Amino acid sequence: MIEQIVFWVGSTLFIIGGVFDLLASIGMLRFPNFYVRLHAATIGAIYGAVLPLIGVSLMALGSPDIPGNYTIAGASFVTAIILLIVAPIGSHVLAHAAHRSKSVTWSPVIDLLEEDEKK
Amino acid sequence: MSKRILVLLIITILSLLTSLLITLLLGVKAPTSIRDLGKYYVANTIQDTASPEAVTAIVWDYRGLDTIYETTVLYMAIVGGLAISTISRKVQLKTRIGLTGITRTATRITVLLIATIAFAIALHGHLTPGGGFPGGSAMAITAMLIVPVYTLQSLLERGVTSTRLVAARGLALTAIGLVAILPVLRGLEAVTNQKFYPSHIAGMLISGSLWFYNFFEFLAVASGFAAVALYLSIPEELYREELRGGG
Repeated sequence: MIEQIVFWVGSTLFIIGGVFDLLASIGMLRFPNFYVRLHAATIGAIYGAVLPLIGVSLMALGSPDIPGNYTIAGASFVTAIILLIVAPIGSHVLAHAAHRSKSVTWSPVIDLLEEDEKK
Repeated sequence: MSKRILVLLIITILSLLTSLLITLLLGVKAPTSIRDLGKYYVANTIQDTASPEAVTAIVWDYRGLDTIYETTVLYMAIVGGLAISTISRKVQLKTRIGLTGITRTATRITVLLIATIAFAIALHGHLTPGGGFPGGSAMAITAMLIVPVYTLQSLLERGVTSTRLVAARGLALTAIGLVAILPVLRGLEAVTNQKFYPSHIAGMLISGSLWFYNFFEFLAVASGFAAVALYLSIPEELYREELRGGG
């Protein structure tokens, strides 16, 4: 019983991840400038990759018939954690570099970093 | 269409046509049965080398001499690169800021993770796919991460220079050579494994010389590639100044 619940929770996470990937790709196409597109890309990386990976891990835990299911579960969970650390840093560095090089044309409502740098 | 793309297209089409002609004319076919040598490796690796990982056994035992020479070739390439890209005076770079605090913290975590995985790949090389070369390459990634995040200057100030890394590589290579030559002192062939080295140390399987080769190769590749990463991150401007100054 508990295995089936774990499996179905995992599947739900997996499907939610797919939905987020779709939303992120729509965002990538529709958002107006680099920074918000970066936001969409990070949504694809976190909700669209970390969430499904945790889902895969739960699905593997919930299916003891598959040989080596604990290996699959552990590996996908560790990958999810590493992605959770690395993906936001990637976006952060990209945004930082774009802001410093002033290579993005945009009309922000408020840009606190710019004000800080002027001081 | 620009000229360059046209040339690339012609080269691609010609090479595809040539490979098609060779396949058709010479009648090259993929073998359908396993070769005798392959069968030998599968059947005897565990007895001959005490290693369950046939690839490592072939690389460092059956064809050990070959691999040692390959390692030397890579060493020469790295030393050659260093010889070309040496700057006579001390490298002093202007930028010392590096990236933001968030990036630095995350880099510390990732560098630790990468180093752990690199050690695992290298030290389990005789048990699982991997070994000294992949482990060392993974380790060198830490240098490539540290250079942009903490700046090259901070590394140089801490005494991590390409020259020292190449020296470390030389030491590791010497250790590989010693592991290969030590059996000769007992009158055995060079690159002997099981007749000279023990298969277990303190109850742990090390597959004789394979573990030592993997470990020293790991050190050699890690320091060698880190040295390359360092000397490639020196800005081109400095080299131009060096050329203008007449060396």
